[in-house]
Amino acid sequence: MIPLQHALIFGALLFSLGLYGMLARRHAVMVLMAIELMLNAVNVNLVAFSAYVAPGAFVGQIFAIFVITIAAAEIGLALAIVLRVYRNKATANVDEIDLLKW
Amino acid sequence: MTAFQLLFYLLSAASIVGGIGVVWSTNVVHSALFLVLSLSAVAGVFLVLFADFLALVQILIYGGAITILILFAMMLTRVADEAVVSDSPQKPWGVAAAAAFFGITAYAIYNTPWNVGTAAIQRVPFRDLGVSLFTQWAIPFEVASLVLLVGLIGAIIIARPEDRE
Amino acid sequence: MDIGTGHAWLIPALSVLSSLVISLALLLKSVHVLPKNGSYLSIAAIGSGFLLFFPILRDLLSNGPREYGLPWLLVGGTEIRWSMLLDPLSVTMLGLVTLVALCVQVYSLCYMHGHPRFGWYYAVQSLFAASMLGLVLADNLLLLYITWELVGACSYLLIGFYYEQRSAAEAAKKAFVTTRLGDVGLLIGILLLFKVTGTFQLSGIFDAVATGKLDSATVNWAALLIFLGAMGKSAQFPFHVWLPDAMEGPTPVSALIHAATMVTAGVYLVARTYPIFLAAETVLSFVTIIGLITTLMAALLALVATDIKRVLAYSTVSKLGFMMLALGSGSLAAGIFYLITHGFFKALLFLGSGNVIHATERQDMRELGGLRNSMPVTTATFVIGSLALAGIAPLSGFFSKDEVLIAVREHQSPFVLVLTLFSLFITGVFIARLVLRTFFGAQTHDSSHYHEAGWNMTGPMIVLAALSIVGGLVVFPFFGEMLGLGGGFMEFINPSSGAHGNAGATVHAAQFDTAMALLSTLVSGSGLLIGWIFYGARLWSPQAISKRMTPVVVLLENKYFLDSFYQAIINGVVLVAGLLVATFDRVVVNDVAVNGLGRIAVFAGDRLKYHVTGKLNNYGMGMVVGAVIIAAAAFTFLS
Repeated sequence: MIPLQHALIFGALLFSLGLYGMLARRHAVMVLMAIELMLNAVNVNLVAFSAYVAPGAFVGQIFAIFVITIAAAEIGLALAIVLRVYRNKATANVDEIDLLKW
Repeated sequence: MTAFQLLFYLLSAASIVGGIGVVWSTNVVHSALFLVLSLSAVAGVFLVLFADFLALVQILIYGGAITILILFAMMLTRVADEAVVSDSPQKPWGVAAAAAFFGITAYAIYNTPWNVGTAAIQRVPFRDLGVSLFTQWAIPFEVASLVLLVGLIGAIIIARPEDRE
Repeated sequence: MDIGTGHAWLIPALSVLSSLVISLALLLKSVHVLPKNGSYLSIAAIGSGFLLFFPILRDLLSNGPREYGLPWLLVGGTEIRWSMLLDPLSVTMLGLVTLVALCVQVYSLCYMHGHPRFGWYYAVQSLFAASMLGLVLADNLLLLYITWELVGACSYLLIGFYYEQRSAAEAAKKAFVTTRLGDVGLLIGILLLFKVTGTFQLSGIFDAVATGKLDSATVNWAALLIFLGAMGKSAQFPFHVWLPDAMEGPTPVSALIHAATMVTAGVYLVARTYPIFLAAETVLSFVTIIGLITTLMAALLALVATDIKRVLAYSTVSKLGFMMLALGSGSLAAGIFYLITHGFFKALLFLGSGNVIHATERQDMRELGGLRNSMPVTTATFVIGSLALAGIAPLSGFFSKDEVLIAVREHQSPFVLVLTLFSLFITGVFIARLVLRTFFGAQTHDSSHYHEAGWNMTGPMIVLAALSIVGGLVVFPFFGEMLGLGGGFMEFINPSSGAHGNAGATVHAAQFDTAMALLSTLVSGSGLLIGWIFYGARLWSPQAISKRMTPVVVLLENKYFLDSFYQAIINGVVLVAGLLVATFDRVVVNDVAVNGLGRIAVFAGDRLKYHVTGKLNNYGMGMVVGAVIIAAAAFTFLS
């Protein structure tokens, strides 16, 4: 059987990749993709815990389903916002959308 | 090493490679395709962990809906026209921060006494999941559907072109 | 329904009500709606209070003392009550306060007529009377302290009634601040007693004192602190300086303050808590000494004062010292008896001086004289009051003064008695000087337009004059029994018949001591005679005497330099300390602390704002770094 730690390390790796994407990418859509990676990493963790820590209870899986639901709503809204911003500022680069600076 | 284990490591490796591709590729379309690879591999990992239903949902929603949505967004923001997308100047710091985060998480994972049960991993029947979702989790389920509805309407209103009087 | 001691609460309540109604009308700018701008309301309230006094007295005599009240606060295990005690002491005071307040309020109808703040005057008068009545009735120290402070606040308002004049405002401030000094002592004393006995109820405290639950040091300290409060309110040396200045208020207010409400509160406080004092021998001696000093030095000051109200004020201070002397000599009854009779004739004297001021608009006796022709009623009543003050038989002051002298003779050294008699001698001199220079002798101004005051000014004076004449007779058992007191006044008031049996109280029955009566009459009479020689017959010139005793006169005219001394203390210590504190406040608190913090915030904001780039990546970096640091810290320090 696969040790729990390996599954968690996989999740952590995936999450760190998403994190890096969020920190380093400029285009809003790229940042959103990185966020999807992070959400998936979380799901991996939830499923792994569900399978190893409480087999048969599958609460983790239910959680993962809700996470996916929220992620779907989030990406829909976020892309709508990106489109809106692009239409107004003719750019989708997050470091050019800096109206809220000092 | 059993076939299961082999499958797990292969799938996770594929998912990681896909993830690296997503964040490293300078071509946005390639990035999106790497995302499909990564997320599909995650679906495979779900299968290995006996989360069959989740694996199906994962492929349906991530492999299908979300990727399509992202590609549409790229098209509408014309990012695909650029041959190369530039990254933020804090890229090296990003590497360092993400590595530090991974380091601390890995440290936590290996230094936490996990209360792992001795029972073998069980396959969760669709039927049990469905019954549970519609009985025990009925209210969160309905709330989630409401969230989706609100998200849908919100997305339409935000993305709609302004009315020209 | 029988009206009795159970209805005593109505008396202060009525006055509070009238005060509230008048104040409300003033707020709504519609005081003219009330009968006579509210004055009738106030008079009706205090008048019904006075009428209630009789059934209450009858009930007290037939049913004995009574204590009742309502629960007010429950703090921890301590219940604080709105409670009142109806015993001979408080009921007697009730009668005096309502009577004098009634006289003064009727008198003020004419005296204050036409003043723009006429309604306000009556609102405060009502509240003043109500506070004093509440103080008289209060059965626990907390309630007593509240009413005590209310009395002080009202006196502040009334002394400073003519606040357009700077001197009146200053006098009000001086009265308030000086009495506050003593009040701090009183408050500490109350808290000390509460700390050791766990109750504010007088009965509980007296029980604790009587059973010896308190050690003697505590009892002495408590008595001393309470006496400090009494010293401030009753203008005892060295706190007496405020009372002469309090003359700045309207004259009826002076009458009220001197006779019934403000200054008597201190004497009453000592009388009310007398069991504590009886257990504190040392403090009782202290009371005696202070009383003696006060009575002597104030009598001497009255000799040189020229303002008629000021002379009367010093005589009040002197007589308050006299009362304290009686209390210090262990005779509660003598002290209160003197308080009552003094209330009658001192109110009378002040109202008389009010008549003079009202008619002539002068109050310096050097500018007055020969008023007896134009103001016969005033002169007659004033002379009666003066003779009572001097203690000439058979006026009330004679009997009450003798009781005090007997108490002093029995409990103090002959030296004290001699000094007390000397103060009586001086009293005779200064009161003769006052009467002769104001009402007799040559007219210094054209007095044809001076006229006697109206009925509502002379009426109260005639009532008070009558009481000044016969008031002293209650000391005799036959007279007391006629009134139903069951013996003379001394037996009526003496603490053993009170609700709280004070076994230790030294009770002596009224005694008509012929030797003492002769001696005191001789002393007072010779005082009056000397006064007459100087100011009536002008056989000797007072100027010649004062020239020979220049240092003494200078000392007296400067009031022993006490005012200057206090002013020097205020200038040299209080104001300097205030300056230091103010400087500290400005430099350290304001500049360094408050503004400094603000400057730090501005400076930091100035530097830090450039890190608010508005760029998503930077913010994300901040979050990640923060999360990593927190996680690392958690693993380092928490596990």
